[in-house]
Amino acid sequence: MNDKKAAAYRLGFTTLGILAVLTAVEYIVGVYIPNPAVWLIILALVKAGIIVQNFMHIARLWREESH
Amino acid sequence: MSAITAHHDDHAHSHEPSFAQQLRSNRLGLWLFFFSELFLFAALLVARFFLWGGARPELSQVLGLIATSVLLLSSFFVYRAESAMAHGDRKTFQSGMLIAAFLGTLFFIGVVFMEWNIFGLQGEIAGIELFGHLKPTDGVFGAVFYAMTGMHALHVLSGIIFLLIVWNNGRKGHFSSEEHWGVEAAALYWHYVDVIWVFFYPALYLIGTAG
Repeated sequence: MNDKKAAAYRLGFTTLGILAVLTAVEYIVGVYIPNPAVWLIILALVKAGIIVQNFMHIARLWREESH
Repeated sequence: MSAITAHHDDHAHSHEPSFAQQLRSNRLGLWLFFFSELFLFAALLVARFFLWGGARPELSQVLGLIATSVLLLSSFFVYRAESAMAHGDRKTFQSGMLIAAFLGTLFFIGVVFMEWNIFGLQGEIAGIELFGHLKPTDGVFGAVFYAMTGMHALHVLSGIIFLLIVWNNGRKGHFSSEEHWGVEAAALYWHYVDVIWVFFYPALYLIGTAG
C-alpha cells in the first residue's frame, strides 16, 4: 500500500473515531445534563465541521488540483 | 472545404475546457446546490425550535443514537470507497460503496419501519423500545417530526440510489484514479446527508424535555 493511500485510510479511521467519541459525548450530555441545548449545538457544529473538512474535502474548492 | 472544416474543428477543440476546469466547475456547482438545500433544512430546524420550544416528543433516544451511528459509519465507508478509487483500488471501492448503501438502507428502514412504525408493530429488546408511537397527526410534534425525518429520508433514499449507480458504473470500469467525478459527487452528496442528520439528531432526540 503506498504512503498516500495509507494516509487517506488513516484519516478516515481517525475521523470516524473522533465522530464516534463526539456522538457518545453528545448522547451522554443530552440524556444526563439538564438544559443541554447549547452544548449539543456546539457538538453538532464541531461534528459537521469535521465531516466537511475531512470527508467532504471542502478545501478542494479553492485548490488547483484534479483528483 | 475540408481544410476549412478541419480549422473549424481545431478552433472548437481549443475552447473545450480541460478536465481540471470542468472538475472545478462541477465541484462549485454541487456545493452551490448544497448551499441552496441548506435553506430547506434550516427552515425545518427553525420550525422545530419555534414550534417545540423547550419540549420534544417521547422518542427512543437509543434508537436515535443507533440510527446516527449507522449513518456516520456509512459516511466512513463512502470516504474509504472514494479514497480507494483515487488510488486505483477498485476492490475496496466496490466493497465500500456496497457497505455504505447497505448501512444507508438500514438507516432508512430504522426511520420508516421502526420510528414511523408504518405497520403499527410493537416490541422491545433489553428495555429499548423498537417501534415509535408518534403519528403525523399528533399536533406540532407529529407534523415537525415527520416533516424533518421525511425530508431527510427522501435524501437518504436518493443517496442510496446514487451510491448504487456509481457502484455499478465503477464495476463496469467507468472511472479511473485520475477521473472519477461521479464517485466524488456521490460521496459528497452522501456526506451532506450525514451533516444534515448531525443537526437533526440532537434537535429531535436530545434537546428539550420529553412530554
